[in-house]
Amino acid sequence: MTEVPPGGAEQIEDEIETKGRSFASLIRTLDIDSRLLGMIAALLVIWIGIHFMSGGTFLTPRNLWNLSVQTAAVAVMATGMVLIIVTRNIDLSVGSMLAVIGMAMALLQAEILPDIIGFGHPFMWIIAVVAGIILGAIIGGFQGFIIAYVGVPSFIVTLGGLLVWRGAAWWMASGRTIAPMDETYQLLGGGSDGNIGGGWSWIVGIVASIGIVLLMMNRRRTRLAFGFSVRPLWADTAIGAVSIGVVLGGIAYLNRYYVPELLAKARIEEAGGIWPEGGINLSQGLAIPVLIAIGVTLLMTFVATRLTFGRYVFAIGGNPEAAELGGIKTRLTIVKAFALMGMLVAIGAAIQTARLNAAVSGLGQLTELYVIAAAVIGGTSLGGGIGTIPGAVLGALVMQSLQSGMVLLGVDAPLQDIVVGVVLVIAVAIDSFYRKRSV
Amino acid sequence: MFNRKLVALLAVLAMLFAACGGDDETDATTADGGDAGGDELTVGVSWNNYNEERWAKSDEPAIKAALEAAGVGYISTDAGSSVEQQIADVEQLISQGADALIILAQDGTAILPAVQSALSQGIPVIAYDRLIEDPGALYITFDNVEVGRMQARAIFELVPEGNYVFIKGNQADANADFLRGGQQEILQAAIDSGAIVNVGEQYTDNWDPAVAQTNMEQILTQNDNAVDAVVASNDGTAGGVVAALAAQGLDGVVPVSGQDGDSAALNRVALGTQSVSVWKDARELGKSAGEAAAALAKGTALGSVSGTVVFDSPGGNAMTSILLAPIPITNANLQVVLDAGWIDEATLCQGVAAGSVAGCP
Amino acid sequence: MTSATKQQPPLVEMRDMRVAFGGVHAVDGVNVDLFPGEVVALVGGNGAGKTTLIKALSGAHQADSGTIFINGEEASIDTPRDAKHYAIETIYQTLALAENIDAPSNMFLGRELKTKWGLLDDSAMESAAREVMGRLNPKFQNFKVPVSSLSGGQRQSVAIARAVHFNAKILIMDEPTAALGPLETSQVNELIQQLKAEGIGIFLISHDIHDVFDSADRIAVMMQGKLVGTVNKDEVTKDEVLAMIIMGKLPGEATESEMEHLHE
Repeated sequence: MTEVPPGGAEQIEDEIETKGRSFASLIRTLDIDSRLLGMIAALLVIWIGIHFMSGGTFLTPRNLWNLSVQTAAVAVMATGMVLIIVTRNIDLSVGSMLAVIGMAMALLQAEILPDIIGFGHPFMWIIAVVAGIILGAIIGGFQGFIIAYVGVPSFIVTLGGLLVWRGAAWWMASGRTIAPMDETYQLLGGGSDGNIGGGWSWIVGIVASIGIVLLMMNRRRTRLAFGFSVRPLWADTAIGAVSIGVVLGGIAYLNRYYVPELLAKARIEEAGGIWPEGGINLSQGLAIPVLIAIGVTLLMTFVATRLTFGRYVFAIGGNPEAAELGGIKTRLTIVKAFALMGMLVAIGAAIQTARLNAAVSGLGQLTELYVIAAAVIGGTSLGGGIGTIPGAVLGALVMQSLQSGMVLLGVDAPLQDIVVGVVLVIAVAIDSFYRKRSV
Repeated sequence: MFNRKLVALLAVLAMLFAACGGDDETDATTADGGDAGGDELTVGVSWNNYNEERWAKSDEPAIKAALEAAGVGYISTDAGSSVEQQIADVEQLISQGADALIILAQDGTAILPAVQSALSQGIPVIAYDRLIEDPGALYITFDNVEVGRMQARAIFELVPEGNYVFIKGNQADANADFLRGGQQEILQAAIDSGAIVNVGEQYTDNWDPAVAQTNMEQILTQNDNAVDAVVASNDGTAGGVVAALAAQGLDGVVPVSGQDGDSAALNRVALGTQSVSVWKDARELGKSAGEAAAALAKGTALGSVSGTVVFDSPGGNAMTSILLAPIPITNANLQVVLDAGWIDEATLCQGVAAGSVAGCP
Repeated sequence: MTSATKQQPPLVEMRDMRVAFGGVHAVDGVNVDLFPGEVVALVGGNGAGKTTLIKALSGAHQADSGTIFINGEEASIDTPRDAKHYAIETIYQTLALAENIDAPSNMFLGRELKTKWGLLDDSAMESAAREVMGRLNPKFQNFKVPVSSLSGGQRQSVAIARAVHFNAKILIMDEPTAALGPLETSQVNELIQQLKAEGIGIFLISHDIHDVFDSADRIAVMMQGKLVGTVNKDEVTKDEVLAMIIMGKLPGEATESEMEHLHE
């Protein structure tokens, strides 16, 4: 029997309620996106759960490094899918476009360019990637044109695209596997050398920290200049400190994943050094595909929130008629969104083919569904008008965490599919419940 | 407004037709159909999806050549991966006067009614490469269980004991389990004795190399790289496995198996990053089917076709079958694929140090 | 209306406007004009063609034929952008707001303020929105939330603020008070007087005859796509206007017994 305080149980409930309220008011004062915060919390729960089930493997630096590389391509494409879905459209052709663009880039560097500029030309990878991005813009823009100007629903156009581009990918190489890729190009996929090492990772982390401080100061200054309310200084400081802590802490942790001994030894000996008796630890550092994904995320966030194009995308999703009456070229905006999606698919294709060091016509099957799921888990509403870029990236991370985690646990593929499917539905259910309550 | 849309739509259609215009190969498949049904004997072939490289490149010419040698005509249809279309195709081939059918089934169960209808009309049926569960049909295929055995045998020779990883095929594909069964037969004793430990086993969605790569990365992580051998079920998944191994500097250190004789895989065999690719010469399969079809069309009884054995199918049927033996290609017999004209030397030996393997100068 | 103002060229003159949907003549040879500092009410029953006529002026829907003069010069208005170029602003009955974005973003939709780098200047837009809103609806404070979470009156304020901010010379208001309570309605009517005093010409589409008599200088009545007539408010009674709306008869044309049946 515990002691009942004066006032009895009611007072206890009151206290709990006060605490609950003060947490909510704290969130409000800090002006944080509570949806994003909820997703991060869910991700942490998944991570910790799998970590214990896997006997302590999941949260090792090595596995988190794997996870970051495995997520990169889908994350890149999910940022574009957010804009597509926000305009009340869908793109089902992403996986097939990945195959056809990947195949084009592979053929270019393995069979076409070597005859013209020779094997191992230093510009090979740039030509291949730029050509791929242009091709992506053309394919995406073409689909967008049919959707916006001919008026065929995007579901149908991109369903057609799903079949057409898959067939085209096969046709381009008659179903052959195209390998190997250019040496420099391979770095785009990570692999044994596609990372920037511990030192540069720290530099990236420090630059990012300075960026966070400058952005927050700039926002504060602008709002004060206009006489708007700002977060209390302590709140801004706390948020800044936590953000920087997460960035630097993450880098410190990931830097504990060292280059495998076989590779490290070869690298040192190649450089003319001597492999010390007990071996040495070389940090892998951030993988290049992860840096690409981070860069794309920042760029796409910028596009979505700071450019008129992004504003128009959201306005079209919110009310197409209002956008039209506002004088927005809605059709052109939709073509641009699909072209942008195509360019991001090209970047995803570069990461995938570089990572695999090969292109096959079957590349990217079902990827469209993973990309859509990532965007939707990340809070993008299929009804249009609502979605965030960082949310989609987190969504991609959730999906990949589940998949990679279950392989660690030795869960068989059919069961993996079941779990991922169930999580997708639950995530969207929670999101729509939350949305109903908050509006 | 409407007109503008119509013009745009027409422009799009025109582009699509222009894009399809170059695909003359599939057109050719129906070109021979005209004069069927005369007094000359004819064999009808129903492809499930002609749009896959090997059928046009290897199987069809071999079937045609065998039929021509026997003086039998050739007609064909392409179902474009559609089960329903294939059923209609079979009926069409019969009405065109086919005296025997070769069916590459899209779905070995769904096609059964059409097969039974053909058999009841006295038209013999060959289940080509893929099983059709009807004991009245002649099943001609490479022995997939044997492919699995060959993969395991080649790896077991190199690594008689240690930690094994199994990268299997698509879980929905029966061949994935045939292969895995063959692998297990060879390794069972060593697994029972504890010499070999299975440290990771995963199906690969759609045989997708990228999925195989991710799975292999995770298995390497879980075992802290303590993996001695990888039995991968085909060359595509082997490619993903080798990419994952390369990221750990283990490519060429850990033996990897495969099958299909893909150009990229044979190149890896020459480079030493893949140990074996079990090669199924599709031309042998086509030749065998062509000869058997000609014999059946001329009235030979099912059991009297040369080279048949009885194969107990998973569905419990005793199938009259011709099971061809595949050939494991390792760095010791690369000359075989070169001599067969399967691959050219430049592709096979790209990036291979001169004189490091037989076959690459 | 004094005769002095009528000697200037009209702000807007629409001549022989025709719009057909399929075989139906939604607007059939209508002539309307509007002078600076004047409120012209467009009234008529459902399907009379008021909204369709006004859409031709706001660029939302092109007329099949007819000519529009702005300040005496022929104007070609094919899109909403063209209309804005002539300082024509429209407050649609639907308000035409994107529900998912905030009030300043809606106000500046399609005409965003940009920094010197060409980026969206959200702070400047919020500041401008606060300034306009301070005049129209000082109680309005929700500048950072999606419009979907605002009340009907607040949304109306946003739509009006958008038109006011861009210094409209010609303002089209389609049923501006339909969704509003009495207090908000009188606020809108006050605003109309204020804008009128600034020399803005206003087309007011309304079904509420009382509002019309409160605000309008002239009343143009439409019926089945045709203009019944345009009358000065001071020269007619409400019943006479009702007769125009319902029977299509000008003052004096209707018989007394017909007039008595109006209110049945």
